[in-house]
Amino acid sequence: MIRVEGITKVFGPDPQSVLPLLEQGKSKSEIQAETGHVVGVHNASFTLKTNQIFAIMGLSGSGKSTMIRCVNRLIEPTAGKIYLDDPDQGARDVTGMNAEQLRNMRRRDMSMVFQHFALFPHRTVLSNVIYGLEIQGKDRGESERTGQTTLEMVGLGEWSASYPEELSGGMQQRVGLARALATEARILLMDEPFSALDPLIRVQMQQELKKLQSDLGRTILFITHDLDEAMHIGDQIAIMEGGEIVQIGTPEEILVNPRTEYVARFVEQADPTGVITAHTIAMHLPGPRFHTVREDSGVTYHARKGYEDIEYGIDRSDKLHEVLINGNKVAVEPLAKILEQHASSPFIRPRDDLVLTCQRDAVLRELLRGRVCSALPMIVTNADGGVEGIIDEAELISGILEKRGEVGAEA
Amino acid sequence: MVDDISGLFPFLVLNPFDLIDLPARDWANDLVNWSVAIFRDAFRAYVSPPVRAVMEAFQWVLSTIPPLLFLVLIFVAGWLAASWKVGLFALITFLLLGFMGIWDQLIVTLSLVATAVVFSILLGLPLGIVCSRSDRFAAIMRPILDIMQTTPPFVYLVPAVMLFGIGNVPGLIATIIFSMPPIIRLTNLGIRQVGAQYIEAARAFGSTPGQILWKVQFPLALPTIMAGLNQTIMLSLSMVVIAAIIGAGGLGLEVYAGLERLNIGQAFVGGLGIVLLAMVLDRITQGLGEKAPGARKTRSD
Repeated sequence: MIRVEGITKVFGPDPQSVLPLLEQGKSKSEIQAETGHVVGVHNASFTLKTNQIFAIMGLSGSGKSTMIRCVNRLIEPTAGKIYLDDPDQGARDVTGMNAEQLRNMRRRDMSMVFQHFALFPHRTVLSNVIYGLEIQGKDRGESERTGQTTLEMVGLGEWSASYPEELSGGMQQRVGLARALATEARILLMDEPFSALDPLIRVQMQQELKKLQSDLGRTILFITHDLDEAMHIGDQIAIMEGGEIVQIGTPEEILVNPRTEYVARFVEQADPTGVITAHTIAMHLPGPRFHTVREDSGVTYHARKGYEDIEYGIDRSDKLHEVLINGNKVAVEPLAKILEQHASSPFIRPRDDLVLTCQRDAVLRELLRGRVCSALPMIVTNADGGVEGIIDEAELISGILEKRGEVGAEA
Repeated sequence: MVDDISGLFPFLVLNPFDLIDLPARDWANDLVNWSVAIFRDAFRAYVSPPVRAVMEAFQWVLSTIPPLLFLVLIFVAGWLAASWKVGLFALITFLLLGFMGIWDQLIVTLSLVATAVVFSILLGLPLGIVCSRSDRFAAIMRPILDIMQTTPPFVYLVPAVMLFGIGNVPGLIATIIFSMPPIIRLTNLGIRQVGAQYIEAARAFGSTPGQILWKVQFPLALPTIMAGLNQTIMLSLSMVVIAAIIGAGGLGLEVYAGLERLNIGQAFVGGLGIVLLAMVLDRITQGLGEKAPGARKTRSD
C-alpha cells in the first residue's frame, strides 16, 4: 500500500548540504556539531501492506513523529521517495506531488489521528467528525449522516452536539478516530494516539482499534513509544533509534531475535506472554530428544528420552493418533475448548489424565492458562493438524525467561 | 571667523544645537500643504461620501426607532451578547441618560461610534489578516501602527480639517485612523496564536490555505479579535469626543460647549453620558468575545 524508500529529513537552513556528510557515515551528533543541522530521520525504508497495522516504535527524539509526518508530507522529506500503491491507479509518487495533488491525497487516501487529539475546540463533536467531508465540499446532510454513523461506531452517538471540552481524554480521542474514519480514507496515520490516555483506557482503545481495523479493513501506520502497545497492535513493527530504523519484523521476531543491543534492552522490559507463540518454544517431535518406541499398524509411538512413561502415537499423515501413559490411553482435547469451558472457574487442579493440543500460533499466555488445566505436556499442531512438537514446563519457563533479549540469537 | 574659532570651540562641543537648523516645521508644513493640494479633492470626492452615507444611515435608523423600542432593543442586545444583568445595566443607563435630556446627543454619538467601528473593521480586519500571513507586511505595519497610536489625538484634527473641512466627516476620519490599530494588532496576534496542532490537523485532512483561515484560524482567533474590537470601540468613543472641537456633534459637543461657556453642569452631563455609554459598549463587546465558540478550549491545551 505504501512504500517508503530511503526517507531522510534534515532540519536546518540548508538541509541538502548535509546529505553528502550523511553518506560519508557521519553521526547525527557530529553533523549537529559541525553544521548546526539536526537529522530527524535518516534513510528509513519500509513497506506498509494493505490491511496491516504497521507500528513504528521509538523513544522521544528517535524521529518517529517526523517519519509519520513525512508520509503525508506535513513535514517535507529532504531526500527519499514515498509511493502510494493504488489498485486503480498504480503506484503514485507522493514525494513528487504538487500542492493540489497532495491535498487530494490527504482528502481521499490518508487521514490522521494525533497524540493530543487536535480536535477543533470551536466545533461540536459532529462538526469535528465531518470536517474532512466539509472541506471536500460534500453535501451537508449526507455528511452529517455519515458523521453520526461513524460516531456511533466509536460509541459516541449521543455526544454529537457536545463540544470537545465537555469530553474526557478517551472520548476526545474516539472523536479524533471518528474524524479520521469519516473520510473513508484507506490509510490511517496514527501519531501516538493513545499515549495521552490513562493506562486502562489505553488498553481498551487498543482492543477497539484492532476490532475496528478488522471490521473496516484500514491500513494503519501506528506510532508509539510503548513496546507493549506496538507488540499488541502491530502486525509488523519497526524500531527507530536516533532517526534510523534499526529493526523491522513481527512482534515475535523482534522479541525473540533482537538485532541490536538497543532493541534487546527494550525487549527485556516487554511482556512476552502475548507475543511468544507455541511454535517458537516447542520441542520438535520427532526430533533428537525423542526416540521411536515401536510401530503398530501405521502408528509410530515416540517417547521423550528420560520420560518413557508417556508415548505419543502419530499416524502416517503426521496427525496425533493417541497418547498413552504407562500403556493407558488418556483424553486429548483442544486447548481452546478447555479454556472456554473453564473461562469462569477460578482454579482447577491440573489434571494428569488429560493432554491438550494447541495451534502453532497460540501465544504463551494461552499456553500458561492451559497448563493450569493439565499437568501433561501440550501437543503443538500446525494448521492441518500435523504434530510439530510438544511443550512441557521447561519450555514454558524458558519461553518467559529466555526467548528474548539475546542479540542475534536464533529463533 | 577663522581667528575666533579657538573661543568658539568649547562652546560648540557643549552646545552643538545652534550649528544646524533642522527645519522640521517647514517640512511638516510643506508636507501638509503638498498633500492637501494633491489629495484634498480626491479625498472629498471619494472618501467623504461613503463615510457620510454610513453615518447618516446609522443616524437615520437610530433616531427613527422610538426611544421605548430602543430601550427594549438595547436590553435584548445586552442580554444576548453577555447576560441579563448587562442587559438591565444598559437599559437603566440609557433610561437615565434620556431623563437627563441628552438622548438625541447620545444617538448622534452612538451613530458616530458605529460608523467609525464599521470602517475600522472593514479596513482593520483584512490588514490584520494580511499581517498574520506575511512577516514582511507585519514588519512594515508595526511602525505605522505605533505612529497611529502614539500620535496625540489632537494632532489628527489639523490635517483632517485641512483635507475634509469642518464637521462630522473629518471628525470621523480622525476617529477611524486613531481607533483602527487595536483591531489590526489583535487580529494579527489572534491568528498567529492559534495552536499549531489545529493547523496541522486541518492540513492533514487536505484543507486549502483559505479553508484553514476561515474554518480554523479565524474562529479560534475570534475571542482575541473581539478584544481588539472592544478596544477599538473604546478608542473611537474617546476620539469622537475630541472630534467635537472640529465640529462633530453628540455628547462630545455637549462637553466641549459646556466647558467653553463654563457651564460645568452641561459638561458634566455630557461627560457622564460618555462614561456610561463606554461602560455599556464595553460590557456588551466583552460578552460577545467570551461567548464566541473559539473561546472554548480542549482539555489537552
